[in-house]
Amino acid sequence: MSTKRRSKTAEFLKHGYLWFILGTAFYPLFVMVVVSFKTNEQYQLNPWFFDAIHTWQWQNWAVAWNIVSTYIANSIVTSVAAVIFSLIMTVLTSYVLARYRFPGRNVVYYSVIASMFLPSTAATLVTLFALLENLNLINSLWALIIVGAAGGQVVGIFILKQFIEDIPKELFESAQIDGAGHLSQIRHIVLPMSGGILSTVAIMKFLGVWNNVILPLVIMRDDEKFTVPVGLLYLEGEYVKQWGEMMAGYAIASVPLIVLFLFTMRLFVKGLAAGAVKG
Amino acid sequence: MVARITAGLRTFSQNLRFWSILYLLMFPTVVGMVVFDYYPKIDVIIMSFFRWEPPTLMEYIGLGNFIDAASDPLFWQSFQLILILLVTNLLKMWPAIFAAVALHRIVNQTHRYIYQVLFVVPMVVPGLVWLLIWKSFYDPDFGILNRFLNATGMMTVLTWMDGTFDAPGVMPRIAATLNPLFDGFVNPVFGNIWGFLVFGAILASLASRGAPQEGRTTANLWMLSVPALWTVAFLTGVAGTAAGFLTVFGISIFLLYKLAVIAGGFWVLWFIWISSLCALFFSKPVYITVLPLVGILVVEVLYRRLEYFTARESARWVAWILLTAASFLVVFGMIWTHPTGQFVEGSPAWLGNTDLVIPAIIFWGFPWVGTIGVLIYLSGLQQISQDVYEAAELDGVGPIGMLFRIELPLMMTQVRINLIFMTIGTLTTYEFFLLLLGPDGGPGNKGMVPGLYMYKRAFEDGHFGYACALGMVLFFIVLGLTIIYNKYVRVEK
Repeated sequence: MSTKRRSKTAEFLKHGYLWFILGTAFYPLFVMVVVSFKTNEQYQLNPWFFDAIHTWQWQNWAVAWNIVSTYIANSIVTSVAAVIFSLIMTVLTSYVLARYRFPGRNVVYYSVIASMFLPSTAATLVTLFALLENLNLINSLWALIIVGAAGGQVVGIFILKQFIEDIPKELFESAQIDGAGHLSQIRHIVLPMSGGILSTVAIMKFLGVWNNVILPLVIMRDDEKFTVPVGLLYLEGEYVKQWGEMMAGYAIASVPLIVLFLFTMRLFVKGLAAGAVKG
Repeated sequence: MVARITAGLRTFSQNLRFWSILYLLMFPTVVGMVVFDYYPKIDVIIMSFFRWEPPTLMEYIGLGNFIDAASDPLFWQSFQLILILLVTNLLKMWPAIFAAVALHRIVNQTHRYIYQVLFVVPMVVPGLVWLLIWKSFYDPDFGILNRFLNATGMMTVLTWMDGTFDAPGVMPRIAATLNPLFDGFVNPVFGNIWGFLVFGAILASLASRGAPQEGRTTANLWMLSVPALWTVAFLTGVAGTAAGFLTVFGISIFLLYKLAVIAGGFWVLWFIWISSLCALFFSKPVYITVLPLVGILVVEVLYRRLEYFTARESARWVAWILLTAASFLVVFGMIWTHPTGQFVEGSPAWLGNTDLVIPAIIFWGFPWVGTIGVLIYLSGLQQISQDVYEAAELDGVGPIGMLFRIELPLMMTQVRINLIFMTIGTLTTYEFFLLLLGPDGGPGNKGMVPGLYMYKRAFEDGHFGYACALGMVLFFIVLGLTIIYNKYVRVEK
């Protein structure tokens, strides 16, 4: 009896704690949705909960959509392009590194790994900016795509190389005997088998590029080329704040990732856990 | 394998053709990595020796930038904020650890999966959206925080604690009462309050060392070598020059590395880093050596007089009492020393007031549970075998005992990994402060971290070369930490 009661309190405590954490963690999102339907006056009067439904300010969302839609389009273009380029590069490199020994292999492999351990400080942003200026890439979405695709392939290469090494050699060899070149071996053996891992890597990359704030903030000049984070930042910085429109803008800006998440939930949770184990 | 054998049979030119295809396949990655990853990093090194103010000025000035950096008050001040953040972030790790343990202990698989998914969701909302919503919480007039404080009556409490400029509240008066304690005891004995704290930290770290073995004296000497080096460097004025400072810094990293090899033990390193940084920025030069020396002597005397386990336990108690007393003095005697006068009107400007910026930053992101952190802890917890739990249950260990006797010790590797991420993240992150407070770090530069200062010098003032030099200093600090941590973590595995 006594153990039963104690375990019930324990259950209650565990769930209570988790709900408290989750509740406070999600509270900002709740505030975002509530305020997005209010005018400034309504926000002032009642910041806690929704007003009667007939007073909801739907036009906040319309205004916000007009502002944010360009940013979302920019972000989608940049992130998708960066992910595609990065995946191509990752697959090619990990295929070569996993399957062949040749002069210079270790140099490449270890410099990939080492780039992870050389921390980049704010100062690297300075030289990167100067480099992009010399390449004439300032104020161009290409800069974001290229830097996004080139940077941080380490984890992808690391995981995928190990995965390809585990694919039985015989598969590749029989394909070779049938006259398959490198590219068709990649297409018919590597890609079908590593689908799950590749999508996890892709999602992580997508998140990284999508959430990048500083680089676009530093190099983008024209309003119509802003990505979502920079656009939101400028929206927030306006002198007279329209809270409802801002919050609606934040909500709209979060939608693409939420949609992505809904479709890839399992991969997401698994991928994050795997990344966590790798540290 | 076959590829290698057949490759061996080919002639060299055939080999070359075969390899060149491989090189071609890797070409995009290599070029991308060299141009956009390594080149900027190497360029930082080169450019730190130049006075570089684009678009016109670019001249070689040797160590000039570093000499300027050594006497740049704002740069060193930014490290004080880092210390405060390190300490608070250390405390902020706990909610996530508890969350992971609670999640791990949920028996029902479905519930557990649902929680796990819910914990991942915050990752999905862009970081900037979180930041901007939280920023709206702090808004003086509209913000939820002030509304909440007013609605629950906590604003009255804060006003009571704070008072007005004419009639100081409770907290400033407590600080005034504690003042004699600082003048009469702390300052003459320990140099200053940080010395007091460092002394406690040193005792705590020494008390957590393993059983006494041969060569403890050697380890003690190695431990003393770093502080002694700094004392000498400061007294002779060597540390005042950039070259001297960097040399001494490099030597101490080497010495700490040797110490890590000889003495082992994570807490030794952690406390030595904190104490040397504290000593570096807050204390008088002599105390840098005197405090560790006295600490080591105290512990050695305890070990000689008492049996080992009693000695270790009592050293630990002394250390924790000292640390608690020091923290108490810091919290009540140094932070809230004068009324801010912000609370009386019921709408404090959290991000716009010199005194409130740092508390606002510390409270930011409550309840401080990050997705990645929880998942890392969880991966550690999942490796604990069921047998351990069963054995503990037979011994009558309760749920709280399980936490401290089984789960925490067995997930120490994961805690360390997070600690490393946290330390390096705290040292290098600046985006948050830039987006929140602007390039000047908010009112009175209170929110200035080293990274932000680099950003400001480069993109606000146009001093690119100087920013690179500051970047080099930060880089070496982080690199030193990484090397030591890596060495240590590998030893543990």
